[in-house]
Order: sequence, then structure tokens, then C-alpha cells
Amino acid sequence: MEMENERKLTIARAMAEAIAQEMRADPTVFVMGEDVAQLGGVFGNTRGLVTEFGPERVRDTPISETGFIGAAVGAAQDGMRPVVELMFVDFFGVCFDAIYNLMAKNTYFSGGNVKVPMVLMTSTGGGYSDAGQHSQCLYGTFAHLPGMKVVSPSNAHDAKGLMTAAIRDNAPVVFMFHKGLQGMGWLGTEAGANVHVPEDAYEVPIGKAAVVREGTDVTIVSIAMGVHHALKAAAQLEADGISAEVVDLRSLVPLDRETVRASVRKTGRLIVVDEDYHSYGVSGEIIATVCEMGDIQLKAPPRRIAYPDVPIPFARVMEQHCLPNADKVAAAARELC
Amino acid sequence: MAIDIIIPQDLYEGDDESVITAWLASDGATVREGALIAEIMTAKVQFEILAPAAGKLTILQPQDAVVAKGTVIGSIA
Amino acid sequence: MQPSNKTLGWMYQTMVTSRRFETVINKIYMEGKSPVFNMANGPIPGEMHLSDGQEPVAVGVCAHLTAEDIVTATHRPHHQAIAKGVDLNRMAAEIFGKATGLSGGRGGHMHIFDPAVNFACSGIIAQGMGPAAGAALSRKMQGKPGVAVAFIGEGAANQGAFHETMNMASVWKLPMICVIEDNAWGISVAKSKSTSVEKNHVRAASYGIPGHYIPGNDPWAIYDVAGEAIARARAGDGPTLIEVETFRLAGHFMGDAEGYRPKGEKEALFARDPIPAMRQRLEAEGRFTSSELDGMEAEAQARVDAAIRFARESADPKPEDALSAVFA
Repeated sequence: MEMENERKLTIARAMAEAIAQEMRADPTVFVMGEDVAQLGGVFGNTRGLVTEFGPERVRDTPISETGFIGAAVGAAQDGMRPVVELMFVDFFGVCFDAIYNLMAKNTYFSGGNVKVPMVLMTSTGGGYSDAGQHSQCLYGTFAHLPGMKVVSPSNAHDAKGLMTAAIRDNAPVVFMFHKGLQGMGWLGTEAGANVHVPEDAYEVPIGKAAVVREGTDVTIVSIAMGVHHALKAAAQLEADGISAEVVDLRSLVPLDRETVRASVRKTGRLIVVDEDYHSYGVSGEIIATVCEMGDIQLKAPPRRIAYPDVPIPFARVMEQHCLPNADKVAAAARELC
Repeated sequence: MAIDIIIPQDLYEGDDESVITAWLASDGATVREGALIAEIMTAKVQFEILAPAAGKLTILQPQDAVVAKGTVIGSIA
Repeated sequence: MQPSNKTLGWMYQTMVTSRRFETVINKIYMEGKSPVFNMANGPIPGEMHLSDGQEPVAVGVCAHLTAEDIVTATHRPHHQAIAKGVDLNRMAAEIFGKATGLSGGRGGHMHIFDPAVNFACSGIIAQGMGPAAGAALSRKMQGKPGVAVAFIGEGAANQGAFHETMNMASVWKLPMICVIEDNAWGISVAKSKSTSVEKNHVRAASYGIPGHYIPGNDPWAIYDVAGEAIARARAGDGPTLIEVETFRLAGHFMGDAEGYRPKGEKEALFARDPIPAMRQRLEAEGRFTSSELDGMEAEAQARVDAAIRFARESADPKPEDALSAVFA
């Protein structure tokens, strides 16, 4: 591809760039979290920030999630725009009150009069044997509870745009970044996540899905890492004469139901790829979205390729057995078509 | 006149091999001088490779390739 | 409280066993992770947090414990597991993710559970505190003997669960002690940057309980103070907070480039390695001969080698084993 000054970024760099640009433009934006300052974040997403903006605005916290995430809520309500990190989404257990009862509800409790313009960024995903407390996606848990927007990019372009949009949004936004897409050298990275990212600041709209591959025979819906499984499956299926359309949700809340419905109306077949637990989550929500109005003709029953309802095991053979992958998606598509 | 992109001798201490963990521009792309074009990693540390000149990039070693100090990983013309 | 010769022999040999174990685990962990460190690769994938340098804390405390006492530990658990008497073969197999592991491969290195010796560990900072208090409560309610020890790091003393549990254990006079391993670093953040007091033992005053700080990573001093605290708990007089100055000779996790450590810090720490220091003192005091100590070390190595061999030779779990053991 010929491009003037092509610059691919990893998602880690794209996130750091978005935060830096917003911090330059707006002095109320600041960053808090564990190891975000000198280390640049365990996942590289605050790289370079403390050097440019100093330790007051890029601040390492004690290991006190309830304390500092609660503090982010208070600061956001008082005119600041915090970007706060929960290092692994699995750690939400120690601080969820501050998230779902305060961050997500204070605007509503105040009748819309109090705003909580904060971004909670958190890492998701496994597949590298980090076991049951460090590998979860928990999309359903966060998307289910009202009052917080939830986004998760599949690539660096969307990562920068969604982060910019999230910081500028007056609503609280949970920005979930998948570890396998992040670009950390010490963890393998999905190469497709590193894409060209424009230098200037821009937004990717929150609440809008993207059709990342057009097709006619089956719709595959996913988010973050699942999008890459879907794209690889679609490439396999093309060789078999099956044309798959891939929808990248990008946001879970608000959920772009119309893009999903329009796609399945066209193809008549639906597969949802969900790295989160099977039951009571994203996959069921997408299927309900397509089925519940009774106005979309399905040529086959909807399918979900999701993580089973078990804690994530450590041993590689067991974890890989449970995870969605391109082969499982392609096999499902062949059964439907 | 093509300029080689070489893993610099003084980039890190020791003679460990490294791996190209990411190319941040595509083969054939036009890049600016000084642009970040690749990330490499030794056993534990990540380093940046910057474009030594402006021009069109040719990738000679792909992502995930194991390279050593002095390896030519690409060129710019 | 001074340890007997027999106890000293156990303490030394256990420290050596732990160090030899960590050394070989470190080596095997790095297999398949070169030239680039990709955590997913190799016979031991995932994260690895090694305890080199922190052995004195484990032996100084666990010397006073029996199998019926309870220990909860952290993401850096191997030295405490070994000192508590966890089945070393099955622990090694668990770390390798084998079917013969303590959890059949479901837990891995951060989730080592051995009910036979009442040992468990968990990866979320400070969350072992509550279960330790609960075990202590259970023994008290049942009129059964037993003390619970919660090992945490100094970073965990800033987490809510620490404060809640210490308060509750004090109010209910639970037979529990909390031992803080102060290795000065919470990943990349120094204790001085995260903690409002220089030494966490002063926080014991907030809970109306005794607090002790033990400098120098010294097994004798740890044995002494831990012994008193455990005796206090056994006598029904309630909990104690102990903070021990120790140090980690390795990074936070293997793969940690440790750029945050000041230059020269690690070299200085290696010079204070507690294992050769203990050996020197045992010989100087005439407790054991050089050849007796050599014999202990050889035994320790043999035990570690056997455990690793067991782990390597054990089969992987069946993939569908992932779906079982969810409910009892």
C-alpha cells in the first residue's frame, strides 16, 4: 500500500499518543494508576507521559484500587478528567463499588446534574497461561451494569480514536484493551492490530460498530481479539467458497444493534465470537438483538463460539481447548452454510 | 542510493540476539527521517529503530525474525 | 526464643531446598523464551514470581507451624509452600501444568492449594488476608487448635483488605498473624513512594495489637519474633502484625527488566544473600560441620531434582479436564 508517511503503531503506543495529545490540549486531564509513571505502564500504554507531563499529572498510586478509583470519581465530579488504570480487569473485585455504584450511577442519582468524565482503562484477555485471575475478559460484567460506556478496540487506529473520544466524553468510559493485541514484546501480539494511525488527534465514535470485512453468506460478530479470529476464519472460508461478513462491535455500551441487525438481515446467518464466558453475556445479547423483533429471517440457528462457564485453567492444553479460535469459527460457519 | 537499516552496535549492552517484534511501517511505504519504524526486543527489553533517512522502505527481515547487532533489517531508498 | 540445633538444621536445609527449587524453575521457565521473551512459550508458560532472597521469612515463621496450622500466601509463594510442607513433587507438577499437579494443572504457580497442610495462595494483592482470618475464626469457633498466618507484601498493606482484616481479627481476638515481607518494591514503585509510614508495623497501633519490625532478613531474628507472636495467638490473646525487611534477588516477575532499580542495588543485595550468611554463622557457632552442611545441601538438591523429574515425566491433563472440578 502506498501511503505518505505510513506510521503503524501498536495499541500501546496509540493509547499513549491519544492520552498525550489530550493532556496537551486540556490541563484537567491526568493519569493515575499502578506503575504508570516511570515504568510507562505494565502494558506500555502510558509510555513517555511522565517525562512530558511530570509526576503530578502522571501519578503512581499505592496498591489501593478502591482508594484511587474512588478518588478518580471524586476528581471527575470536581472538574478534572482523570484517566485511571485498573491494571488487570480481573482486579475489579477489590474496587467494584467505586466503579458500578459511584462512577456509573452518580450522574443518574443527581438527575444528570453531576458529571463523571473519567476513563477507566483496563487490560483483558488471556491465552498465555496467566490462569484464572489474570486472563479474563469480563465484557458481560461491565456491559451489563447501567451507567458506564464500554469500548474495546481491535486495532491501533481504533484504539487512538476511541481513547480520544473516551477522554472527551462527559460520561464515564471503560476502555478495555486486550493483552494479546497490545504490542508488548513479552507477550505475543496479533500482527493485524498494528495498523496505520494518523498523527493528528481524531475520534472514533463510541457506540458505532464497523463492518471490517464484507460478505454475503454469514455474519460473524465480535470485539477485540475475537475480530482477528473472525477475520482469519473468513480468509479460510473464502477458499471454501463461503463469503463471511465480519462486524467489529468496537463498543459494547452503547451497543450498535442496527449494524448487527442490518448485516444478519443481509446474510441470514449469525456467529458470535466471545472470549468472555458463554452464559449471561455478550454472545447472548447479540443473538437476542437479532432475534427478538422477529423481523430478520435466519437461514440457520444462531451460533456462539464463547469461553465455557469455567474458571480459566493454567495448563496450556486446557486453556487453549476453551478459547475461541479461527478454526472453531470456520468450522461453525461451514456447518451453517 | 539506498541506506541500510542496521541494528546498532551500541543499542544495548552485550551480544544477545534480538527479535523484531513489530514493523511499524509496511514494505513499500514512504517514511520520514527519524520516524519510528520498528520495535525490537532482546530477552527482556524493548528498543526502537528509527528511520535513518526519508524515502521508501524495503523490509528485508520480517516480523518475528531473530536478528543480531549489525544485521541489516531493511533499507530506505 | 532461640531455635534448637534440629530446628536450625531444618531451617537451613529448607532455605536451600527453596533456593535450589527457584533456581531450577527459573532455568526451565526461560526454556523456549529465547531469543525473545514471550511469556506464552516453553514448558512453564505464564507468569513466574520467584522468592530468591526471601527464604528467611518463610522458615523463620513456618518453623513454628504444624500441618494443622493455616498459611495463605501470594503470587510469590514457593518458599512459603516449601516451608509449610507442601508436597514438592505435586507442586512442581502443578507449576508445569501437569495432570499430577496439586490442582490437575488448573491453578499453576499462583494458585497452589494443598489442603493436607492447609496451604493456599492467590494472585490478587492482599486477598489472602480474609481467608486466613476465616480459618482462624473457624478454629476458634470449633475449639480446635491452629494458628493462621497470612503472608503479604509491603505493597499489600495499602490495600483495603489488609485494614479490614486486621481490624476484624483484633476485635474478634483471632488466632492469626500477618507477616509482611517488605522487599521494598511493588513492581516498579518503591515503598517510600506508596506508603505513608516508613515501617508498616506501626499500623498495628491502629488495631490495638502488637506490631514488630525485623530488620536484616535474619532467620534467627524472624524465628524469635514469629515464635512469640504465634505463641500469643495459640494462647488466645489475639493477632500480631510483623513486618520483615527482606529483599528479592530477582525481578518482580521473570521478564522484568528492572529498569526502576537504582544502579548497584542488585549487586549489593547479592552480597547479602541470606543463605551463605546462615551457613557461615552455623559453622562459626559450631552447630554443624562443613560436611554435615554439604550433606544437607546434597539432600535438598536431590529432593528438588526428584520433584522436577516427576513434573517433567508426568502427562499433560486432557484438554476437556478444563471443564471439570468447577463444583464439588
